[in-house]
Amino acid sequence: MEASNKQVPVTVLTGFLGAGKTTLLNRILTEQHGKKYAVIVNEFGEQGIDNDLVVDADEEVFEMNNGCICCTVRGDLIRILSGLMKRADRLDAIIVETTGLADPAPVAQTFFVDQDVADRTKLDAIVTVADAVHLSTQLTDHHEAEEQIAFADVVLLNKIDLVEESGLNIVKDRIKKINPFAKIINTKKCGVPLNEILDLDAFSLKRVLDVEPDFLTSDHDHEHDDDVTSLSFVTDTPLDMEKFQDWFSKLLQTKGQDILRTKGILDFKGESDRYVFQGVHMLMDASPMGKWPEGKDRSSRLVFIGRNLENMNLKEGFENCKSA
Amino acid sequence: MKADTSQFPQLDKTKFEQRGKEFEFGIPITNSVCLGNSIAVGFGDGTVRIFRSGKNSKTIKAHNGVVLCMAEDGNNILTGGDDGRFLKISIDGQINEIYNFGTRWVDHVEAINGNIACSSGKDVYYWAKTSKQPKIFSHNSTVGGLSFDTKGRRLAVSRYGGITLWKKDYTNKWTSSNLLWKGSHNKVIFSKDGKYLISSMQENQLHCWRLKDKIDFAMSGYGSKIKSFSFTDNSKYLATSGAIDAICWPFDGDGPMGRKPVCIPYVGNKKVSFVETFPNENAVFTGLSDGSVFLSEIDKEDNTIIIRSFTEHEVSAISITNDCSNLLIGDMGGNILWTSVWDN
Repeated sequence: MEASNKQVPVTVLTGFLGAGKTTLLNRILTEQHGKKYAVIVNEFGEQGIDNDLVVDADEEVFEMNNGCICCTVRGDLIRILSGLMKRADRLDAIIVETTGLADPAPVAQTFFVDQDVADRTKLDAIVTVADAVHLSTQLTDHHEAEEQIAFADVVLLNKIDLVEESGLNIVKDRIKKINPFAKIINTKKCGVPLNEILDLDAFSLKRVLDVEPDFLTSDHDHEHDDDVTSLSFVTDTPLDMEKFQDWFSKLLQTKGQDILRTKGILDFKGESDRYVFQGVHMLMDASPMGKWPEGKDRSSRLVFIGRNLENMNLKEGFENCKSA
Repeated sequence: MKADTSQFPQLDKTKFEQRGKEFEFGIPITNSVCLGNSIAVGFGDGTVRIFRSGKNSKTIKAHNGVVLCMAEDGNNILTGGDDGRFLKISIDGQINEIYNFGTRWVDHVEAINGNIACSSGKDVYYWAKTSKQPKIFSHNSTVGGLSFDTKGRRLAVSRYGGITLWKKDYTNKWTSSNLLWKGSHNKVIFSKDGKYLISSMQENQLHCWRLKDKIDFAMSGYGSKIKSFSFTDNSKYLATSGAIDAICWPFDGDGPMGRKPVCIPYVGNKKVSFVETFPNENAVFTGLSDGSVFLSEIDKEDNTIIIRSFTEHEVSAISITNDCSNLLIGDMGGNILWTSVWDN
């Protein structure tokens, strides 16, 4: 039963217009990988070559009628994923291409909200293809470009052969400021081994534990404007579970539109387990993840990526959750 | 993929399993429709199999992918697939491709009185019985479901934001009106008396319109999406999946507003995944997520019999032949039970 019930991993491929998504898709479809992939595209117009399945879709963003203002899902994905799960052959992975101007949140939220989708598939990772030459301008001019970086688990920094090293470093710093936990891979013509972008399990709660601690402990400067930035907090003082739940649920309810992604590992007073969570806007996946490793210090770490974070009194709110 | 039953004492087969035939195809069963006294079944590998009493089943390689939808069209079946093909298949297995949508899926098919329709993306293609050219009904979002009323003069198309109700006048001209309700609407059906229209939503609820005065209301309280629902022939009850009970809403009198549904419980707290009403009776076949199937009388408490025991695969198809002699049950694991309904 185990094998047949395994959830099929879904990789979401985002990236601004002209960054190289189509190049990457062509690589996936033509490479001799020996796996069976389904690729959900928008007007791709080409057939899979190596035994892969190409599905045409229109991006359809639906508001959920559940009283949650920023809860949107991709209706076309729900339909197509449920159709793909009826196939006789087993898919190794599903890749969803989004259009250049798409906000990745509805795709990610679909996996939190739709039970059928969550039962049979799992969000594996969001991979964002970025153009090393134009990314800085795009980030300044378009919210969508910022969101695509903010949501990324992996950023393929493409066309690095067309920029000087100093320019490349500036772009990388910009990416890290928006999203300190995205893995940045430098590429020319999207030349990347597929195992670095597929089957990463980046959305599993287990992987939250792998978050690089140096990002979490360092303070980041942030601009006092509409830019997407990140903030992180750490404390060795155990947290009060009730206070934390109260603060955090109110925070997501009232500021969920501006908070794009959250991740955290929490040490609650009187609890022997580590609590791990991650969220997209107002939606959250949380669970105890076993005992704290013996001989290691317990601490709580919390990361936010979003807009206007400086106006949310996050530091104060977090401090107030410390147990007396 | 059979359940490991060795740890349990040997379970007796039901009398329906004992006298029927069981098949293990290992491929998800997506649909079934009754075709007179035969039943056609669609599979996840594009195959259609036709079961007939006293004869071997017939296997037809129809689609190069999943049979996404099926409908009965007189002596033929209509199928739509994820290979973009809309097919008419005769009972002896002859395939006629009506339309090819290429890389676009054919999500829904329907037929009434020889008129046929399918949807692909946001468009519904409609062929009148006498016409070779389709008429195209366009919508602003992808079609979630379609349904003709019993006379074939109205076609309900569900979509994001509500239902588009297409009506044919006596000069055969189609006009549309909108029944709006926020959210995404999927499967849609008319009550058999044509008085009500029901849609299932992305949220765990149904939405209902009473067509004479356009009063609309929600039917909620479900633990999961309602993917299967079916009216009894007299339109007295709407039986629904989506909960651990078969929830049967009363549609006699002024309808279900302010009234409680009949909730038919089953042992084990498994989710109801499929329902099909019994012709001309207030009774329902209920298929559960573990593969077991029961037949219950809606009006009488504690009147449930077991038809099939569990397979560990969600029930995805139940059909009974027109003469009520034979019953077919299929599940997502590709198991089929084909059995006579009555004791000999």
